Amino acid sequence: MTGLVASELLKLRTTRTFWGLVGACLVLVILATALTLAFSSFHTEDDVRSLLSTAAISGLFLLILGVVFSAGEFRHGTIAWTLLVTPSRFRALSAKVLALAGAGLAIGTVVAVVTAAIALPWLDAKAAPSLSTGEVSRLLVGGVVYTGLAGAFSAGVGYLLRNQVAAVVVLLCLVFVVDPALGALAEGYGRYSLAGLGTAINGSPASSAPGGEVLPFGTAALLWIAYTCLVLAAAAALMSRRDV
Amino acid sequence: MLDVTNLTKRFGSKVAVDDLSFSAVPGRILGFLGPNGAGKTTTIRSLLGLARPSAGSATVDGRPYHELADPVRAVGAVLEGRQFHPSRSGRNHLRVLAAAAGLPKSRVEDVLRLVELEGAAQRRVKSYSLGMRQRLSLAGALLGEPAALVLDEPANGLDPQGIRWLRDFLRGLAAAGHTVLISSHVLAEVAQTVDEVVVISRGKLVAQGSLHDVTRDANAPVRVRSSDPRALQSAIQSDGAIAELQADNWLSVRGASLERVGTAALQNQVAVYELFREAQTLEDVFLELTGDTDAGR
Repeated sequence: MTGLVASELLKLRTTRTFWGLVGACLVLVILATALTLAFSSFHTEDDVRSLLSTAAISGLFLLILGVVFSAGEFRHGTIAWTLLVTPSRFRALSAKVLALAGAGLAIGTVVAVVTAAIALPWLDAKAAPSLSTGEVSRLLVGGVVYTGLAGAFSAGVGYLLRNQVAAVVVLLCLVFVVDPALGALAEGYGRYSLAGLGTAINGSPASSAPGGEVLPFGTAALLWIAYTCLVLAAAAALMSRRDV
Repeated sequence: MLDVTNLTKRFGSKVAVDDLSFSAVPGRILGFLGPNGAGKTTTIRSLLGLARPSAGSATVDGRPYHELADPVRAVGAVLEGRQFHPSRSGRNHLRVLAAAAGLPKSRVEDVLRLVELEGAAQRRVKSYSLGMRQRLSLAGALLGEPAALVLDEPANGLDPQGIRWLRDFLRGLAAAGHTVLISSHVLAEVAQTVDEVVVISRGKLVAQGSLHDVTRDANAPVRVRSSDPRALQSAIQSDGAIAELQADNWLSVRGASLERVGTAALQNQVAVYELFREAQTLEDVFLELTGDTDAGR
């Protein structure tokens, strides 16, 4: 499995899409953090939490990267090579999920470090309310974990749907349209939705989650992993029945 | 050894491959022929585990592809159609495969050298010609030094030198005991490369055997060049066969064996300079068997 994951990481690193999305993610995080610091006031601890959870933008990028990368195998026909070398659909898909999780953790770490480097001295200079070291760490680590989990989940979705555009649209609609809508209509749904779990994991204020309630970090992370396993199992089952 | 046994593949109500059986054995090159849409690619994909048979089986050394312990060392494949990420370089494409298969990076350089693609290895695949992509496919197929090679239209896009190189290369592999299955619609090329052929049409087997057996036709005319073609013509026609005079003292004879023509010449004291039965080309046989005018394009 180590070789398969290394192969998937090499696939990632050797495409322009990957570097383009990573670059765009970093630029967006830097701009969002700097502009918020320059033009917003920080009166409450939630204001500071909101700012530091900007790093979780990288999770959104990984959601897109994962589906583009996985479904791209079908678009470019490279899936045939993948399955010729690794005929087991489950192993091939697991390697992709692990690689995207690893890439997400790495990208999330870079983004968290950049965010902290810009925000912490600036907040200090603005005399903003200070959070404890533990809470700052929790927000930054939460962003990193969310980015890794987002990559793993979306890799499975890409293999499940196989069409790049459809997979991106479905995933973004789910997070930005379906989850908030259902969260407002059905009490309790928001906590178990992707958007709600993401908020719980990355540490953003609960008010930004659908329905305004979130699960504890550990429970939310485990539930996200369970969702990922379900998608992975469904994708592997479908792939073993479908022709390539 | 590659075995296709009673293979049937349906896409909805359409039967793409219909109860097809054949084998490719070590040390021989098997040509897998058929018009476009005959089911060649579907058969090859079934053999490689990329398509699920509706019935029957397609195996490598007695096992379905997905059960092979080390698939890249068992079979190398060149497939038709899109199969490269356009922004990845040729070398990186091969490194990705090598990493997944647990092969050393040095093997990538070996196969790049083998297919004469070292000079372009750093370039993105989207800048490659069709022939270069075929060479890159072949490099990928050879990475694991496989015992068998399955090639779907490998000559597509290759220039004459490339085709000759491929032919010599495949002959060398077969001589070394490898199994080679090659599908192609370039019949003239296949005829110079293969030892045996399997011809399919509309998913069904229509001919199978050695190239010599398939192209041999007992009804093909006998051609004879002699010192006195008119005398020989009379002798042959009196025996019930049809003999037609042609230029340069040639006779074309239908309905007589080589032995009968030779004996008639001897009995009439006619000197024979050349005597043979016209061979059918693979293309003639193919068109006759498949009834498809698309063939050989």
